[in-house]
Amino acid sequence: MSSAVLVARGLSKDFTSGGQRVPVLSGLSLCVRPGESLAVVGRSGSGKSTLLNLLCGLQAPKEGLITVAGESFRRPRKSSERSDDDARWAELRRRSIGVVFQEANLMPALSLVDNVRLRAHLAGHATGGERGWLERLGVGAEADRYPDQVSGGQAQRAALAMVFAMAPALILADEPTGSLDRHTADAVADCLFAMQGDSGCALVLATHDSELAARCDHLLDLSALDPAGTE
Amino acid sequence: MMLVRAFISHYRRHPLQLAALALMIVLATMLWTGVTVLTDQARTSLFQSEQAVATRVHVVRTDAQPVGVDDFAQLRMAGVCVAPWLEIQRPPPEGRVIGIDPLAMGCFGEAAPGGNAGELDGAPFLDISEAAKLADDGYDSRLYLLTANGSVVLPEGYALRDFSLGPSTGELADSFLLNLDALSLLVLLITGLLVRSVHRLGIAQRQQSFDLLYRFGVPRERVRQFLALELVVLTGICVLPGLWLGAQLAGMLGGGFGQALDSLFDVTVYAGSAESLPWQAAGVMVVLVLAVCLVDWLLPRRWQTAAVSARGRLLAVAVLLFGLVGVALAPGLGWVFVGTALVFAGTGWLTPGLLALLARWLSDRTDGKASDPLTRWRRRELAVMFSHLALPVVALQFAMATVLAVQALVTTFEQTFDEWLAQRLEAEFYVEVPRGADAGLAAEHLQSLAGIGAWHRVIRGEARMTVDKGESVPVDLFALTPVSDLVAGWTLLASIDQPWRGLEQGGVMLNEQLARRRQLDVGDNLTVTIADSVISADIVAIYADYGRPAGEILVAGGALPESFRARFESFSVNPGDLDMADIREQLADVWSVPEVTVRDNASIRALASQVFGQTFLLTRAISLLTLVLAAIALLIMGWVFFTTRVWYFRLLGIWGLPARAIQRQLRRLSVTLTLAVTMAALPLGIWLTWVLVSRINPLAFGWSLPMDLYPLFWIELGLVAAVTGLVVAHLMRRQLVQRAGEAQGET
Ligand SMILES: Nc1ncnc2c1ncn2[C@@H]1O[C@H](COP(=O)(O)OP(=O)(O)OP(=O)(O)O)[C@@H](O)[C@H]1O
Ligand SMILES: [Mg+2]
Repeated sequence: MSSAVLVARGLSKDFTSGGQRVPVLSGLSLCVRPGESLAVVGRSGSGKSTLLNLLCGLQAPKEGLITVAGESFRRPRKSSERSDDDARWAELRRRSIGVVFQEANLMPALSLVDNVRLRAHLAGHATGGERGWLERLGVGAEADRYPDQVSGGQAQRAALAMVFAMAPALILADEPTGSLDRHTADAVADCLFAMQGDSGCALVLATHDSELAARCDHLLDLSALDPAGTE
Repeated sequence: MMLVRAFISHYRRHPLQLAALALMIVLATMLWTGVTVLTDQARTSLFQSEQAVATRVHVVRTDAQPVGVDDFAQLRMAGVCVAPWLEIQRPPPEGRVIGIDPLAMGCFGEAAPGGNAGELDGAPFLDISEAAKLADDGYDSRLYLLTANGSVVLPEGYALRDFSLGPSTGELADSFLLNLDALSLLVLLITGLLVRSVHRLGIAQRQQSFDLLYRFGVPRERVRQFLALELVVLTGICVLPGLWLGAQLAGMLGGGFGQALDSLFDVTVYAGSAESLPWQAAGVMVVLVLAVCLVDWLLPRRWQTAAVSARGRLLAVAVLLFGLVGVALAPGLGWVFVGTALVFAGTGWLTPGLLALLARWLSDRTDGKASDPLTRWRRRELAVMFSHLALPVVALQFAMATVLAVQALVTTFEQTFDEWLAQRLEAEFYVEVPRGADAGLAAEHLQSLAGIGAWHRVIRGEARMTVDKGESVPVDLFALTPVSDLVAGWTLLASIDQPWRGLEQGGVMLNEQLARRRQLDVGDNLTVTIADSVISADIVAIYADYGRPAGEILVAGGALPESFRARFESFSVNPGDLDMADIREQLADVWSVPEVTVRDNASIRALASQVFGQTFLLTRAISLLTLVLAAIALLIMGWVFFTTRVWYFRLLGIWGLPARAIQRQLRRLSVTLTLAVTMAALPLGIWLTWVLVSRINPLAFGWSLPMDLYPLFWIELGLVAAVTGLVVAHLMRRQLVQRAGEAQGET
């Protein structure tokens, strides 16, 4: 338990939409250890993306406790606490949490290699090894191209290279292969799992794809614990 | 109808796009209307200031008694067109006002002093009845009877006299107005660019919906027709408030000065805004908006893509060079204008691309700060912004160049006018030599006065100058005696060492227009025929003379032969330790006349400068408004453009860059953008100044203005640019925060 990278207890999250409170998550707990992978599945709208956002501090929960890489967060009471939390979350995302979205993970004004360099630089790593990361993910030849000059699969590989270049403790991937065809999606997923295994970091993967989910060590189905109970 | 619904639903989701375009049209119309009204006001003010100091003819009694109301009646009954001109001298700071009777001026036609009867409300003219009230209050007053021309037949007992209040400023004013017109054209160009940029951006953002409509089977033609209709309706709606606001604004700017005068004189002397809205301005605006927004559908697509290609760039360079050479070598004004248009076209075409290239080049450097990946990213983003915001960037560049040129031009005009007026009205008092009186006697008397300050006698007349092949041309002759300290401060355009001593020793000086026309220079020898004697003299100096087109030579009084008959004589006098009232009485005795006309030069100068000052104020206001509009356009564009980039700034946050650091990046990005535009505007502004003073003026009037640069103003402009950049950054930041909140929508 103490060795877990990510622990969440009693997480709840509401949204207000048109003046009405819509519960999305309630009382959710989870735990992921280094080298482990957790698949988050569920219907569209069940709260997968919301959960990932909570786990990297991009959104704040209504209730609950989150611990990532030894840093703990509760819902802040005062604004000073909030800005303090924001700073701690930023530091975590900078050095320890790699986030990958379905698309638009790259800065369009920079070449792939410059994107990786920027990400590694922000994580505090000396620059120099970027091309190596791109090569390991199979896009070494495209290193000097710009994001709009490569295919969707190549862009996602580059996005993974960026994440691994920062040597994270935890990777949060929100449908990283969602916009790719079966074949490409599998190839990208192969890379992801292989590299995750090598680096020993934890992985939380939100996906619709049951094959992909089956490759993870654990499964969390949000539809099964729908807080509204209906819909 | 599906199309209408599609259009309306788009704006329902993106009301800001519609608002931005509407705002731009309103602002552009406001600016253009303001410029039109202000330019008209400037024209009126200048005309009046010119009238205040222009030379005219007035009727005097041969018995040397002052004229009165009886004389006016008698002359009018004799069929002579005369109008009363009542000068009231109030002590400073109020200074002098002039009462005229607009009704009596009916017979003057176009040449009526004080402008047309309907425009009696500008400083320094009042209705004569108002002026008479001031005279009754005990202020010093004097009545003149002006006539329209010098060739009228007068009844017995009256004679004509030149009525001069000072040097003519006609040409200086015309030159200024020409420059003002050129600047208005530039303003129109800038507003066109701005409206176009906002419209284009809106279209680009709706392109996807248009494509969708096309796939649903709506022909592209139909969509275009709808877009055109939409624009016509929007323009029709927005032009009206713009027109009203522009008139309001011009009224405020023009009126501020008027009010200051109001409180000084207790009477209305300046009507700020025009009574009716300037509808032509609205017409011009509608045509402009439709033209700049719809031009793309008229031009072949091939041209548009060619414009940004390498070949297009080459063409732009060619256009630019052609324009530069054209302006430098142009034989006529028309060519200068065409050349200037080409230079602007070429510059506007090239600037965004060059700035983007520069930003990319900086980002590719691997030394020093450039090796920081974040810096590299920011410079790349800057390059993207330059190419995506090309139109507003160019508009801002043009607006800044205009402001720079206007600032330099107006300051130059102000200084030149001031200096020139100072040198023409160098003494404190100006004494007219009465008709038939002997100026020599008066000169001897002044010579004998102990304690008198500097003074000299001014003699004006005609001479002939021999040009090549023995042919001779008439020139105005201007003589001074003695050559006193009064002229020591004259600014000479070119001269030998100690030019005034050279003049006393038989040299001549020329005004600039004569020197340019005859291509004469200091050191050249001239043959001049004055009355019956022919003298040969070296040119010792060339002086600036902005008032008139005529060529003029200046000689020392001693060089005039006995037989010379002066057309006009006067004395310029500094009383020194003496009292001018005493000198005036003594001269009346010397000349045995009941009264001598003495004018106080300071008040003439103050009067003329005051009205010129009004014009300069208006001109500065115009250029400043242009700048403000361009800045607003950049704000709108920057804001709209940022909606497409906001995700990438959030990505920085996702990658763990603290919010403050992201804001710093934003600030640096937008401030660099505006400062780079300022840098790009500098050479264009300096070049434009040069064109105005050194090309347009000599070609139009035969004389040039000094070319002065005002680096302090560059710094001010840089500060304005930096502030604009900070505001852009602030708007972007709000969007960033707002978007982030929206995405969260938390309870
Ligand atoms: N900013 C917001 N304001 C209001 N409701 C929101 C907001 N963001 C998400 N929601 C709601 O929260 C619920 C969960 O959204 P979320 O994006 O987490 O779903 P998801 O499981 O990721 O769906 P998908 O599989 O389609 O990506 C949805 O019902 C959504 O409508
Ligand atoms: Mg999702």
